[in-house]
Amino acid sequence: MAKKITIMEDEELILNLLQKKLISEGYEISVARNGAEGLKLINEVKPDLILLDIIMPEKGGFEVLEEMQKTPDLKNIPVIIISNSGQPVEIDRAQKLGAKDWLIKTDFDPQEVVDKVKQQIG
Amino acid sequence: MAIEKKIEEEKITTLLEDLDSLESYIRDLFNFLPLPVFLLSPVKIILEVNPAFEQITDYKIEEVIGRSIEGIFNPEEIESLIQETIEKGSVKVKEMVLSTKTGEKIPVSASTVLRKSEEGDIVGYFFSLFNLTDIKKKENELINTQKSLLNILEDTEEARKAIEEEKNKTQSIVNNFTDGLLLFNQQGKLSLVNPQVEKLFGIKQDQIIGFSVEELASLPGFIPLVELLGGEIKEAFRKEIIVKDNLNLEVSTVSMVSDGQKAETLVILHDITREKIIEKMKTEFVSLAAHQLRTPLSAIKWTLRMLLDGDLGRITQEQREFIDKSYISNERMINLINDLLDVTRIEEGRYLYKPVLSDIAEITEFVVKSYQELIKRKKIKFDLKKPAGKMPKVLVDVEKIRLAIENLLNNAIRYTPVGGKVVISLSSKDKEVQFSVQDSGAGIPEDQQERIFTKFFRATNAVRIETEGSGLGLFITKNIIEAHDGKIWFKSEVDKGSTFYFTLPVE
Repeated sequence: MAKKITIMEDEELILNLLQKKLISEGYEISVARNGAEGLKLINEVKPDLILLDIIMPEKGGFEVLEEMQKTPDLKNIPVIIISNSGQPVEIDRAQKLGAKDWLIKTDFDPQEVVDKVKQQIG
Repeated sequence: MAIEKKIEEEKITTLLEDLDSLESYIRDLFNFLPLPVFLLSPVKIILEVNPAFEQITDYKIEEVIGRSIEGIFNPEEIESLIQETIEKGSVKVKEMVLSTKTGEKIPVSASTVLRKSEEGDIVGYFFSLFNLTDIKKKENELINTQKSLLNILEDTEEARKAIEEEKNKTQSIVNNFTDGLLLFNQQGKLSLVNPQVEKLFGIKQDQIIGFSVEELASLPGFIPLVELLGGEIKEAFRKEIIVKDNLNLEVSTVSMVSDGQKAETLVILHDITREKIIEKMKTEFVSLAAHQLRTPLSAIKWTLRMLLDGDLGRITQEQREFIDKSYISNERMINLINDLLDVTRIEEGRYLYKPVLSDIAEITEFVVKSYQELIKRKKIKFDLKKPAGKMPKVLVDVEKIRLAIENLLNNAIRYTPVGGKVVISLSSKDKEVQFSVQDSGAGIPEDQQERIFTKFFRATNAVRIETEGSGLGLFITKNIIEAHDGKIWFKSEVDKGSTFYFTLPVE
């Protein structure tokens, strides 16, 4: 059975590219374009991993992490942050909220994102 | 009759005898008197003097008897004294100056008595003198003593005034100081509080004077300060505390040592609320700007990358070449933004964050690997020299040191002409490792060498060789190395090349 990944990302182009890349690697992908939508989605799908943008409309990435922490079913799903921001304070905060990794989009290729995903869930 | 006469004669004889002995008595008394005494005739001729007079004036009796007194006393003074004696019958203690035979001036006090005949005619004046020299001397001494006493008093008064002024000055500084000041005495009790503290905590000084640090904890707002200082008033330097929302303080303590013993402790409270708000705004702005700038660039990067990787279908060789160049341009833009963000963080003082024990050779090799292609393309003779054995580990933030090496290597390759030479050398000695990269490139003009690590600075010949470049690389590199307690320097000669060196301490 294919591993399930949920992508939460408001930038359409990035979302499409990631989706295409990960499908080609054999993953099952569900997508949300904001945090509120994303939370609803992961409650239904219970994915194996989440790729999470930080700055999004409705609810941002930090709010998603906070709500996941409060929900036992979601708490242990590994999360990789994909963001264009990346200040030490933000990275620390995300780590404290359980995020596994923080990737700055400009510094990583889609292939490297796939590699990070594989590190987490194979 | 004869008997009567005889009796009369006997009486007279007795009377004369009595008179004689009286005269002798008076003469003895006159001679014995320690006070100078003399008798003056109505026309101021000296009629009689005693030995004490001889002594004070240095004149012999025979020299003065029959002389006018005016050679001995000032004529006007003596005249005025005589007039007063005639009016009053006697004068007591009148100060005058006596001139001795040798011309010495002696201060005396004179007393006089008028002598009249039975008929009431003036027959002369008795003078007695009292030598005032010793008294005058004593008096002068007394006056001098008094003067010096007054001087001392004056000095004391001046000193008191100076202290008072100093105190007022200090008081005024303390009162008008923009920082809050709390002074704890030797017993750890609060002895001074300035108005700024009253303002910061919304209290009056009478509420807290005499309190120990622990006692302050009972007042609202003081708890964070008490927790920082502890009962024994710990040393603190620019320690930040949050008193409440929108009140951030920076706390420093100063121990005032007297005679080698800790006497008083001054606690300085600096309001940094405004700085904190600005800092937060800046962080938010940088975060936003980074996001806004990076978002389109990352979309372009990912699209181009997937095109190049064939994820979006086959492309022709010509298309590949164009896309490849676009990708490189885009990467340059990304690097520029990353540099700007790094500079912002350096200036915020929070650039360094994750030091781990690492091998400098491994980091260097990692960087070199990513430059192999460029080295090949520019036909550069490249060498990496390192010691045979393992190098001592250094405690560094790997990503930052990687960036520093990358900046130096990138410069070396970029400013070295095709077919040139670049050599990296690694070595270790005395608790430090050294990295150097030598090139055969353009070199740095001597008059510009001083500014080479300055933000946004690019040497004129560097700009001629390559128009692209932020002028931030060496600034960032220097900051990274110095943040690791390392040193960075270079040697350079125009058209011969440059060598950049840095060292890092071994833990």
